[in-house]
Amino acid sequence: MHFLENLPLATKKFILDLVKGACGWLCTKLGIALPPWAMPLLLTLVSILVVIVAIIAVYMVMFALMSVAERKILARMQNRYGPNRAGWFGILQPVADGIKMLTKEDLVPRGADKIVHFLAPIAMVAPALMLPAIIPYGTGMVPVELSAGILYFFALGAGTELAVFMAGWSSNNKYSVMGAMRAIAQMISYELPLVMSAVIAALVAGTLSPTGIVEAQGGYSLGFIPNWFVFTPWGFVACLLFYIGALAESNRCPFDLPEGESELVAGHLTEYSGFKYAIFFMAEYVGMFAINGLLVTLFLGGYKAPCPFLEWIPSWCWFFAKLALLAFSMVWVRATLPRFRIDQMMQFAWKFMLPMSFAALIAAAVWYYAGRGPLAWGLSALIVGIPYLALGHFCFTRHHTADNRRYLYSE
Amino acid sequence: MHDLFQRLISLPWDQAPQWFFLFPALLMLLAAAAAVMLRNLIHCALCLTLSFIALGVLFIALGAEFVGFVQLLVYVGAVTMLILFAILLTPASEVAASNNPFRSFQLSKALNAVAGGAVAMLVLAGLLAAIFFSPHAQAAVNPAKAATAPAAAIGENLLNHTLLPLQGTAILLTAALIGAALLAKEDKRS
Amino acid sequence: MNLPGSGILKGMAVTAVNFIGSFLDRAHAKRLITEQYPEERPTLVETSRSFPFLVFDGDPEKGIRCTACKICEKECPPQCIFIVKDKDANGKPILRPQIFDIDISVCMGCQICVEVCPFESIRMDNIYEVSAYDRFETLVLHKEQLLKSNVYYRQIHPTEAAQTDARIEAARVKKAAAAKAAAEKAAAAKAAAAAKAAETQPEPTA
Ligand code: SF4
Ligand code: SF4
Repeated sequence: MHFLENLPLATKKFILDLVKGACGWLCTKLGIALPPWAMPLLLTLVSILVVIVAIIAVYMVMFALMSVAERKILARMQNRYGPNRAGWFGILQPVADGIKMLTKEDLVPRGADKIVHFLAPIAMVAPALMLPAIIPYGTGMVPVELSAGILYFFALGAGTELAVFMAGWSSNNKYSVMGAMRAIAQMISYELPLVMSAVIAALVAGTLSPTGIVEAQGGYSLGFIPNWFVFTPWGFVACLLFYIGALAESNRCPFDLPEGESELVAGHLTEYSGFKYAIFFMAEYVGMFAINGLLVTLFLGGYKAPCPFLEWIPSWCWFFAKLALLAFSMVWVRATLPRFRIDQMMQFAWKFMLPMSFAALIAAAVWYYAGRGPLAWGLSALIVGIPYLALGHFCFTRHHTADNRRYLYSE
Repeated sequence: MHDLFQRLISLPWDQAPQWFFLFPALLMLLAAAAAVMLRNLIHCALCLTLSFIALGVLFIALGAEFVGFVQLLVYVGAVTMLILFAILLTPASEVAASNNPFRSFQLSKALNAVAGGAVAMLVLAGLLAAIFFSPHAQAAVNPAKAATAPAAAIGENLLNHTLLPLQGTAILLTAALIGAALLAKEDKRS
Repeated sequence: MNLPGSGILKGMAVTAVNFIGSFLDRAHAKRLITEQYPEERPTLVETSRSFPFLVFDGDPEKGIRCTACKICEKECPPQCIFIVKDKDANGKPILRPQIFDIDISVCMGCQICVEVCPFESIRMDNIYEVSAYDRFETLVLHKEQLLKSNVYYRQIHPTEAAQTDARIEAARVKKAAAAKAAAEKAAAAKAAAAAKAAETQPEPTA
């Protein structure tokens, strides 16, 4: 299994060797003398290019698969079939969608700000495609090893807000502006708990580098329970908070108010059509995968295997398996929960998520300094459990409504 | 053709990364100039954002990753959004009337420009003085030290050497927050 | 007291049961009951209706029931019927439509034309695959496309057709009886006249 584990890196090395050989052969053939620094520079550039192409290819394939899998799963959960016409069991649906999107007319409203309207999809997709760069996909498989990788992720995430604003404002359409306002309000509100819960993981791991955080989750306690952060009380809460924040940041149900079809046509995407719309759509999905990848990295042990006897499966397979599981769960949530109202969304962010993320922070500190034993477990569970019950009971449970309601005609 | 290629490839391309900083730097200056000169306020704000982004890229290109990312996170993520919202929520007529506080003095355009330029020069001089005469300047100029200053070192500095100013800033920000909340509340009642 | 958040878990359980159940329910008894349209066709209920058509008996030219009275044209709410009366060689109008068009892209299937027609000549069809590439030419149905035989009508709406047939038959019987009565009356009158004539004729001679 050593071979499979090394497959991606070996492929990269093979391509580099190929380029090196081809270049050398070409130079001797043409009689060009290369300066000594030329070959290493070229190889560096090619290796960067290979990684970029690989990432984009992988994410595009995931996007295509997800776009059909999401609809199939959603359909099954609603007792329908879902797309089953294009190709074998509808597997070619993404191709059909792509052709449809590409051949559609690209409309720009007359009153729109043409330049900003054109730049918005670019401002959306560029950060989204840069997000996956810092995620460790397997042992030694980080495209860019940054010491402040987590910060990089959130810094780029800020660019999405800007793109949404540009799209909404430049469309010169009230639904677009309203959608953009909602999107920005939502992103700013949920970025706080999102960053807080990421900070918790970074604090306990003692590093901002994603690889470092994954390595801090290695090993097993009692011989079979992996030391992933999600299996601690504070980590479980932080993981859930991060998950909810990820749902909100990627505008997925139940946080899809910015695009709420039944209220705002399509929010900031109202005036986009054809390829530009497809780009927005793609950026949203790539962003979703990236943030799920960060969730895997921060709390679910990254590329680590869940039990010792499964370690023969390559590390990158584990990463993508966890990613697929998260993507499935997001579809599951989408099939289950109705959309928030805007005030509920805000209340949930500020009255529940933020206090809970502070509680988790304190619980993590207690767990860290109380020696990570059973005592630490109990204390940190109390610290996150009590606020949860209190907040849930006093702020988010409606007392005396269902019982007192009288139905005059529907009985 | 052959010769040309040989000469082209023999140029000192390995020196190129050192000059890379020129791109974000020029972009930053251009965007800042555009932010001052464009007519549409939203375009100005977007250009300002572009110059923030270029500044962040400049920091990263110079090896200060942490500062660069924080620059992007804070300025692009928060400050720009505030500016954009402020513009969007202010009726256009008020903006036109209030964007020049000197209007009541009936200053001529040229005088305006001179006054503005003088203020800008003063601020620039102040900043330069602060940078060159501060005790940290020598330490920061030392590239070897600057390159090996990751997040941990910054945190160390903030919480050990500059703890008191940090706490002061925190109190100031809290006061501002409470003040803003109070103002908003007043507004609602009237 | 319910644990906060337990409602979400209950909901998730419901969707999970749906998801797994959709793979187990092979007979499609409760889940996945969607009809796979081009392969599986719907069995239409008898009362289903889409657009009107013109009924004829026997021969499409001679047996056309419509008399071009234009009542339906006047009553149609979206004004999608267009009728021109036929003329014979001398330019005298005859009770038959020369042009009878229905724009089914406008028709809303309200069946008012059917209700108002005094000659039982327009009825609702139940076709539903009428999409076309050209909405101006192909979706305006002309007389030739609208004419369908009574036999077809009996097939698609048996009960209704039987009632209509009975009504027509009753009307025919009534008409025949009336005609017979009239004929008898005429004959009687004739006979009476003849008798009278016979009666009065001899008088002068007498
Ligand atoms: S069904 Fe209604 S709309 Fe259609 S032709 Fe008859 S009267 Fe007109
Ligand atoms: S279909 Fe009936 S109502 Fe319409 S013109 Fe013919 S006879 Fe008259």
